[in-house]
Amino acid sequence: MRKILNWFRRRDLEAGLDKELHYHFDRRVSDLTASGISEAEAKRQATLELGGLTQVREEVRDVWLNRWLRDLTYDLRFSARSFLRNPSFTATTVLSLALGIGATTAIYSLVDQVMLHALPVREPERLVLVDWKGEQVANGFGSYNLMSYPICGDLQAQTQVFDGVLCRAATTVNLTTGSEPKPAAAEIVSGSYFPMLGVGAAMGRVLGPEDDRTAEASPVVVISYDFWKTHLDGAADVLGRKVLVNQYPMSIVGVATPRFQGIDVGEVPALWIPASMSAQAIPGFKGLQDRRTRWMQVLGRLKTGMTLERARSGLEPWFQAMRLEDMGRPGFPRITAERRKQYLSSWLELTPAPQGHSSLRRRLAQPLWVLLAATGVLLGLACLNVAGLFLARGSARDREISTRLALGASRSRIGRQLLADSILLAVAGGLLGVLIAPSAMRTLIAFLPSQVANNALQSNVDSRLLLFAFLVSLTAGLLSGFAPALQAGRKSLMTSLRERGGSASGGVRMRKAIVTAQIAFSLILVIGAMLFMRTLTGLLEKGPGFDTTSMVSFQLDPRRNGYTPVQASRLIRRLHEEIRTAPGTQASAVARYALLTGGSWNDLMVIQADERISTDRDVNLNAITPGFFSTMGIRLIAGRDFSDRDVRPVEDFGFRTAIVSESFVKRYLGGRNPLGARVCECSGPDAKPDIEVIGVVADFSYRGIRENREQAFFPILEGNGSSGTFYVKVRGTPEQASASLRAIVRNADPALPISSFRTLNEQVSRSLNTERMLATLSGAFGTLALLLSLVGLYGVMSFVVTQRTREIGIRLALGATGGSAIWLVLRDALVMVGAGMAIALPCVAALGRLVESELFGVKATDPWTIAQSALLLAVAALGAAMLPAYRASVVNPVEALRLE
Amino acid sequence: MPPSRFPIPQGTLDMLILQILSLEPAHGYGIAQRLEQISRSVVQVNQGSLYPALHRLEQKGWLRAEWKQSETGREAKFYALTPAGLAQLAVERDSWAKLSGAVQLIFDEGTAQ
Repeated sequence: MRKILNWFRRRDLEAGLDKELHYHFDRRVSDLTASGISEAEAKRQATLELGGLTQVREEVRDVWLNRWLRDLTYDLRFSARSFLRNPSFTATTVLSLALGIGATTAIYSLVDQVMLHALPVREPERLVLVDWKGEQVANGFGSYNLMSYPICGDLQAQTQVFDGVLCRAATTVNLTTGSEPKPAAAEIVSGSYFPMLGVGAAMGRVLGPEDDRTAEASPVVVISYDFWKTHLDGAADVLGRKVLVNQYPMSIVGVATPRFQGIDVGEVPALWIPASMSAQAIPGFKGLQDRRTRWMQVLGRLKTGMTLERARSGLEPWFQAMRLEDMGRPGFPRITAERRKQYLSSWLELTPAPQGHSSLRRRLAQPLWVLLAATGVLLGLACLNVAGLFLARGSARDREISTRLALGASRSRIGRQLLADSILLAVAGGLLGVLIAPSAMRTLIAFLPSQVANNALQSNVDSRLLLFAFLVSLTAGLLSGFAPALQAGRKSLMTSLRERGGSASGGVRMRKAIVTAQIAFSLILVIGAMLFMRTLTGLLEKGPGFDTTSMVSFQLDPRRNGYTPVQASRLIRRLHEEIRTAPGTQASAVARYALLTGGSWNDLMVIQADERISTDRDVNLNAITPGFFSTMGIRLIAGRDFSDRDVRPVEDFGFRTAIVSESFVKRYLGGRNPLGARVCECSGPDAKPDIEVIGVVADFSYRGIRENREQAFFPILEGNGSSGTFYVKVRGTPEQASASLRAIVRNADPALPISSFRTLNEQVSRSLNTERMLATLSGAFGTLALLLSLVGLYGVMSFVVTQRTREIGIRLALGATGGSAIWLVLRDALVMVGAGMAIALPCVAALGRLVESELFGVKATDPWTIAQSALLLAVAALGAAMLPAYRASVVNPVEALRLE
Repeated sequence: MPPSRFPIPQGTLDMLILQILSLEPAHGYGIAQRLEQISRSVVQVNQGSLYPALHRLEQKGWLRAEWKQSETGREAKFYALTPAGLAQLAVERDSWAKLSGAVQLIFDEGTAQ
């Protein structure tokens, strides 16, 4: 450490040493002259005794700073000087490394934030996600890993395994802090949530078990620090303030610590609400104490020293008993013997969850790993490119290096000099990469879907990321400097000195190997890009199966604004009528659940046709108004649409009629006439199908465009249609329509928030965010890769041609045609391209499995795509090689021979 | 023809410097003169190797350096022993005694037979 400090004060040290040595020298000379020796002789003797001032200085410098450190600083200075002298070379290499490093850093940052970053809570490594896998015999709503609230309490009693257990559910509430309610992301949490995580309050208090003891007895919320700062201006008197959650008054008791953003990186809550208030947080929800309603995620904190395996077996007795006990409880449905067997063979799964729970992670994990792998390949390519450029420069520097070798420099010393070159370049590239990384990250984050809740992803470069970028740069530097350094160490001194400038054979073999590897890498990326682009275009071509032009949609949820179900239903009906008859409307309909959001209402069904059929998987369900299909441009295949006949008065419950989709008929009725069959949203031996099927419609996408699963529809206006998504086909532009639609809603209730107002085209494009991200990025990577390898190929071919000018000249002089000269060069290029492809294809086959699930309508090993990519690469490569080849064919034999 | 002197054993120069400085602080030339007195009779010390050694010892914290007026009136860099240096001298002296004792023992054994 001290030695490194010495480097910074070396000027002082030098001056001191100089003074010290001169003092010695002068004293010695004066002593010697005093003893009668002539001054000249005295000086000579003093110098002799000291052994030369320069050498003493060198030796003392070695004491100050280790030899290798000094060499390194000299090397770096030398490299920097030579780079400044050669700006175009420097710019090319730094830029290609910066692109590689910047892209890798940006993608890694997302991987880190989405998948690797531990929650800012006490000992996150002890957190586990508890998941009940298999048949739970329960209805669920929410995303993944769902369990009921009472189970959370059961698990809390398992103190031999857990130090604490929390459960939570994400939701959106209409929150009124000022005059108007606004949608806000909320987390409904058990009282154990904050104590178990070890998260405290920045102000006031956090929620505790006492808030979660009695249902509806604790109308309190804790708000997030960010929400406090941004929406409440960080007001100091916020504690005790009344807010309205879905129009229900609750009071703020605390602000959570600044860094805590909930346990889901994809959905940052603005507030936390105790589970005891779930009926207010989710209007109409009555399932808090119901063991057959699964809606919360459960996280446990393992006791110290507890392993996953021991925890699992420790929970087994409780789990066994709980399932059996549940079967005897009132409210447990009668189920078939088979379902019962499935229920009893369900199991508990514990997975480490230091990063919390996140559906975003689930959705993005694979695409992000794929992108990280792609950037890795891209970075490898950039390194190869730099290595190739170095080799090219290395052959130009051959004579310099040979001279240095002849003067006594060791080969390892020269090699180190070359490594210093590449490391300096890579670090410069890394710096530039880190500078461009944040904007790349912002672009990436913009690709990610976000609903009401923000995600916690940031485009900041933190110290972790800097370290990562530095390590990547260093590795890149070592990798790209390795080949040239090796080359420098291998050459025979005699031959290279004997060679003339311009005819050095410096590392052509190695350069060809590098270009071959580059071609292999870029073919992999090009094939990947092609696959993802075909996936995206395939999905866009397929489309959602309904009309999206001039269509806008928006959601209303009056229950969140304090409406009773009956009031809400009346409001929706009234608005539907008004919008339908408005002058700007061509057609309009309401569906209870929005399309293309990734979610759906789904359940098992029983069909009574000639025989009784139970569906083997959930059917996607929706409730719609008459005219929904015609508004959406969905074809009615058989039977009739809903009409006013099917609509029941408000407060009259129970569906009478249903419409099913084509694939539903195909899967369960095998082409038999479905009209008149009876169905129900039900299962088990007690199910009584009593809803008549009155129509069949063409298939269209519900959750997302990839999927065309079986669907069934009920009429919405059955008295329970209390919320809904409006689908309006408008005249004129969506912008004009937006204003008049908003005015209609505002007119009916000025306080009612409109959410997710967008055109259907926008909705389609949002639902393809991940696919678009993969296609765009892999396309960019593929293009870049192709470019890099073409530059490499061109470089090495030009070099070969220059090198073989004389040979080609002789051939031409002896009667060879220009065509054969071209072939001579192209053959070389073809061998490299062929070899690169031969390397790439098995890799593509192996990597294919990684991306298979992200693809649509195309297999990872699709021969057509691979052939196209290979052809594209081959044509481009031959194009790049053609220029040098052409130059070879027009070599003037006389000139070529005179060159010698 | 000066009397033939044998070169100073590796590593002993540091010890000699510490020993000289344990008597009183001195500048490089002073130390060199003291060494000269020793070396004239017994061992050969290259004056050039004195300065790297001094800087090494200073780096290790065994010496402390200070610019002061020398006897000629010119400024010179005076080296003095630090407490750590004094302790080091004791260690080296001890190990030297052990080593030379051990070597002596081996020689004695050789002659005894």
